Amino acid sequence: MSRRTQPLPQDLLPLKPAVFHMLLALGEGERHGYALKREIAKRTNGKLNLGQGQLYGSINKMLDLALIEESDERPDPHLDDERRRYYRITGFGRLVVQAEAARMRALVKIADREFGLPARA
Amino acid sequence: MADPSKLYRFLLKLYPARFREEYEKPLEIQFRDDYREAPGKGRFWLRTLYDFARTAPVEIARELMHDLRYSVRTYARRPMITALAITALALAIGGTTGVFSVMNAVLLRSLPFREPERIVQLRGFPIGSQGGPTVFHAWLRQSAFLENASLYMASEMNLTAAEHSRIMVAETSANFFSMLGSEPSFGRAFTEDEEVPGKDGIAIISHALWQQAFGGDPHALGSTIRLNGIPLVIVGVARPGFDYPARTSLWTPTVFDSAKIPKTGMRSWVRLGRLKPGLSVAQAAPMYQAEIRHEAEIRNLDPGQWLNRPEATRPRLIPLREQLAGPVIKASLVLMGAVGFVLLIACANVANLLLTRVAERRKELVVRAALGASRARLVQQLMTESVFLTSVAAAAGIMVARWAATLASSVEPSTLTAQQYTVLDGRVLGFAVGIAVLTGIAFGVIPAWLIGRFQPSQDLIRSHQPGTHGPGAGHFRRALIGLQVALTLVLLAGSFTMGGSFLRLLGTDLGFRTKQVITLTVSLAGTRYVTDRQMASYNSQALDRLRAVPGVQSAAATGFLPLEPSAYMDGKFTLDSGASVRGAAMLPVTPDYFRTMGTEIESGREFTATDTHDSEPVAIVNDAFVRAASEGAPLLGRKVTSNWSAKPLTIVGISRTVRYGGPSDNGAPQIYLRYEQSGNSMDFVGRSMTFVARVNGRPENYLAICRDAIQSVDKDVPVFGAKTLDQRLTDNLARPRFYTTAVLFFGGFALLLAVIGIYGVASYSITQRRHEIGVRIAVGASPASVRKLLARQGLMPVLAGVAVGATAAIALGRVIEHFMETAKTANPWAFGSAALLLALIALTAIWIATRSVTRVDPVRILRAE
Repeated sequence: MSRRTQPLPQDLLPLKPAVFHMLLALGEGERHGYALKREIAKRTNGKLNLGQGQLYGSINKMLDLALIEESDERPDPHLDDERRRYYRITGFGRLVVQAEAARMRALVKIADREFGLPARA
Repeated sequence: MADPSKLYRFLLKLYPARFREEYEKPLEIQFRDDYREAPGKGRFWLRTLYDFARTAPVEIARELMHDLRYSVRTYARRPMITALAITALALAIGGTTGVFSVMNAVLLRSLPFREPERIVQLRGFPIGSQGGPTVFHAWLRQSAFLENASLYMASEMNLTAAEHSRIMVAETSANFFSMLGSEPSFGRAFTEDEEVPGKDGIAIISHALWQQAFGGDPHALGSTIRLNGIPLVIVGVARPGFDYPARTSLWTPTVFDSAKIPKTGMRSWVRLGRLKPGLSVAQAAPMYQAEIRHEAEIRNLDPGQWLNRPEATRPRLIPLREQLAGPVIKASLVLMGAVGFVLLIACANVANLLLTRVAERRKELVVRAALGASRARLVQQLMTESVFLTSVAAAAGIMVARWAATLASSVEPSTLTAQQYTVLDGRVLGFAVGIAVLTGIAFGVIPAWLIGRFQPSQDLIRSHQPGTHGPGAGHFRRALIGLQVALTLVLLAGSFTMGGSFLRLLGTDLGFRTKQVITLTVSLAGTRYVTDRQMASYNSQALDRLRAVPGVQSAAATGFLPLEPSAYMDGKFTLDSGASVRGAAMLPVTPDYFRTMGTEIESGREFTATDTHDSEPVAIVNDAFVRAASEGAPLLGRKVTSNWSAKPLTIVGISRTVRYGGPSDNGAPQIYLRYEQSGNSMDFVGRSMTFVARVNGRPENYLAICRDAIQSVDKDVPVFGAKTLDQRLTDNLARPRFYTTAVLFFGGFALLLAVIGIYGVASYSITQRRHEIGVRIAVGASPASVRKLLARQGLMPVLAGVAVGATAAIALGRVIEHFMETAKTANPWAFGSAALLLALIALTAIWIATRSVTRVDPVRILRAE
């Protein structure tokens, strides 16, 4: 089956919060689905707690868009359930994260100019 | 508590195949982890269900889009096959939907009456309006099964409101509107005492007439209009869309006072009843019979006179819906049968095309299966492909259906506006969608099932070998060809039978010549021409003006024009020998009538100007009359008497029989009377005459000139029905022509599909068997002999189909006979010729498909191995 022509990073913006967080979490290295979920929950203080369907639905979509890819490397098989799948971020995924962060930075600048930013969130 | 993982696995089935295949395991693992750690299990389940509700539709949509994109790409690679499949399905789905839209309108759509299922027509009841309202209401009060009943009599009349027009009028009993349960939208209904002379000079007009003649002005109420010259005051406007019976524009409570409004043509009343609550038509039927017997007894009449009539006129309670649906239903059922066959054939054909594709794509599918695509995923893909194909076809089919519904309304208009045929109706559209999905599944399921039988490991090896067949596909395709041939044969035989009958109709000698004759009708009812002499004087003036038009060869007038749907009178005539002829149609005509109509006078003479009101009464009879009289001696010069004529008539001529009702009319005995001599006794025709003129050149060019010529006699006498006789014949044949054309078209289309299917299977089997063919030729077989072998094998399913089809056609022929008036006999010639045609065309298609055998180079094929 042929893949559609690769979109530009800007075409995918803005990213859904779940997708952005998953890409950020994968920046630190390969993870399987469950680890991703826990990492995101930790980073957001439990505010973003992905359901199973949402998690793998997003993974499915990110794979389709070539933001991530499945990784063949496994940690020590004794440590892990071999049926778990590991994912890592692609080069294109990195470009998309950067583009999304830049978009946010631009928004932050505007907000700062117009309203000023508090010292602490 | 049940195993939570088990429950979760069950829920996972909500996801589409591809997603499930990819993520079933990780999802399960994650579920177990989450479940173990979740503090509140109830809350966890709620969250899980919410997660499903949110993500399953998204994944289904994504996968559907994916499969659809894939389908479009696959179809785009085979544009010819795809276009053919879509055309076949669109025509079949459109045809069935179109016919269904007609059936929906007349059978299913609600009627603008209160509880219409309780309303029946009381056919063949011996008493009507003769006894007046008192007798009628006394009868109604004692009825065991009726809650209410009313009478009506419908006919066309001249309306003078703002201007002259011809409209359909129903003369009714006063309770007509209340009995039907449709009160006027404003103004009032008739009150009970308004059906007696002196009080009945009132009318209710239809909403459409109100808009048209009064521009929707509320002041129309109370204003006076003239109907055939009689003034009536408008008291109400009917509900929009209410035009029962027969698209009526005006109702007046004069059914018991029928002399009030002078009329032309025949009068026949219809009695409607509303059954008592809780009584079905079947329960009421024996009560109706008993009532007829009772009515006959109190009048000292023989009840058998009514009860033993021929079936078409025997007393019966006819449900309102059946009265309204009439002939449309039988014809719709035949057409539905025909398009249903086309739909089945189209399904078989498309299934065959898809099977070819499955066989061609077998390698791809086997590879995909080997790479881990599950059966469910491949089946899902194939089903999406086929349902996608039918959806496109259904969209095109809706267009076909709209066109078919328009065509049907022009050929067989609905009785009421409320029953107008339309495709834009929830039920009809639902039907189309349902048909599309069902057909998609019907022809998608076989290829999908075959996919299920693929064994990746073995098939992967086999698919690389030359000369192998798909598993079971070959058998299926041959079976489908057989089925298709059988269905096609039935349809072809049916269309040949109908086509043959129609050709016979076209070739029928009508007894007159329709070429270069024009017709125009006038109605003197309600005009200043009241006495016989006044009317005769009008007619002769009109004829003089008509004859004076340059290019008119001859002109005449008649009380009853052939091909005109109005009823005519028949009577009993007794010859001087005592022999009598019953049921002879009485036809008043003027001199030159036979010359103008081109009806041959076989012996004797035509009426002339010397046959006047005061001369000896004369008659011309047709040869059917002569046969019916079964006299040995010639009838010319003999006297004939009847209670319609004061004096005996002398037969001065014998004419050829004219088929008054058109080609399907058998030609009853006819007796022509000199118009001026029949006036006194035949006032039922005296007020309406149709003028006929034979002209030079194009008859259409004369219509306006001749109408003006007649109108110039008196501008207050409406002239209508300006048509050529040819046009009237075309109109008369419109229905059989439509049905025959439709069935022939479907038959031809089915044949085309069958040929394409047969050709496809034959040429495909050759590509599949190249290797075997190469070997055969290499060991000495001639290409011609191999070709013969292939043709023989290709012809086998065709012949099997012909055998099955012929049997079915003979059985179905009886059904068609029952439904179509034009197909009187199940014609063995039709079956034989259809079978022969099908076999010959199949053989030709196979022979052409096998021509590539002669180009087979055995050396190359064997070397390739």
